[in-house]
Amino acid sequence: MLNQNEAHDDQFGQDLPQRDVAADRSIADRQVADREVPLPGASADGPSLALHAWLDGETGEAEARRADAKQVDLWNRIGAETAARRRMTTPAYVMANVMAALPEASTDARVETQAMLATSVAASAMTEAPGGLSLPIVAMIGAGLFAAGLLVGKMI
Amino acid sequence: MTTTDTETPFPEVDSDQDVISRIIAGDRNLFAMLIGRYSDPLYRHALGMTGSPDVAEDILQTSFIKAYHHLGEVRGRFDAWLFRIVANGCKDWLKNIRRTHLSYDEDDQPSGYASPDEDLDRTELRTDLDDALAQLAPSLREAFIMKHVEGRAYEEMADLLGTTVGALKMRVHRAREALQALLEEKYA
Repeated sequence: MLNQNEAHDDQFGQDLPQRDVAADRSIADRQVADREVPLPGASADGPSLALHAWLDGETGEAEARRADAKQVDLWNRIGAETAARRRMTTPAYVMANVMAALPEASTDARVETQAMLATSVAASAMTEAPGGLSLPIVAMIGAGLFAAGLLVGKMI
Repeated sequence: MTTTDTETPFPEVDSDQDVISRIIAGDRNLFAMLIGRYSDPLYRHALGMTGSPDVAEDILQTSFIKAYHHLGEVRGRFDAWLFRIVANGCKDWLKNIRRTHLSYDEDDQPSGYASPDEDLDRTELRTDLDDALAQLAPSLREAFIMKHVEGRAYEEMADLLGTTVGALKMRVHRAREALQALLEEKYA
């Protein structure tokens, strides 16, 4: 099959008839247009509007049957097949396979939670205490004062 | 054994968002509830799009596992988010596969028809419908499957696919025209 986007002559461009650009354009245009209409072999007008309306649940079967009884019979048969497919259920082993493939005890979630917790603790530790000092510095000063107090107590 | 509300392992009243929060907090087993809620329509979608039970199962499993690992990213409706994962899985498969003849595994589907003749007739129609669906463009097949196999309303389809009701009606109508053209000679 010819690719409409590429030159079809050989690399030397010799001994081949010139391409009919207008004809190529015509073919290309026709291919695009083909996608917008029913497939080749389709009936002239496809399902009637009455049929579509019935299949969309907008009108009753009797109305569609008045328009085209044979097509209604065809779509009733197709409808029986699609209804059977609608009752199909997932094989039980699919759920079992999925659950077996998941990480145990949701490790990912725990790791994520622990990471969030650690970030939160670190952030709160860096929070400034009143007076412009951070909490670790306040704690160190407190510990130093406590040790100094003990020392003074022993000396006395 | 009688079943009471207290024995129900996965009460339906829990919203998807509640369930997702508990899963993220570490209750991994609750993910089975989400699978139970949504697997059947998604399986039918994948089956309709691919025509192969094996492929549909693979896509479903991969999609659920992917969803589990990205639960924290769910924004808005979980079912719509999950549908997009499965639908994209189907489209990726359709892009990559060099399609051969595909049909449903007969053994997977119990017959509900009265006589062998009806059964044979139905099997033939099923195969022909599969072949006809396989000839549709993916967007038309998707619209037809969602409307006629999954039984969704146009509004719901528009919501899931992020397009308009009018565009979807057009796709479904064109799918019907194509299917009718392919099947009417034999069946009408």
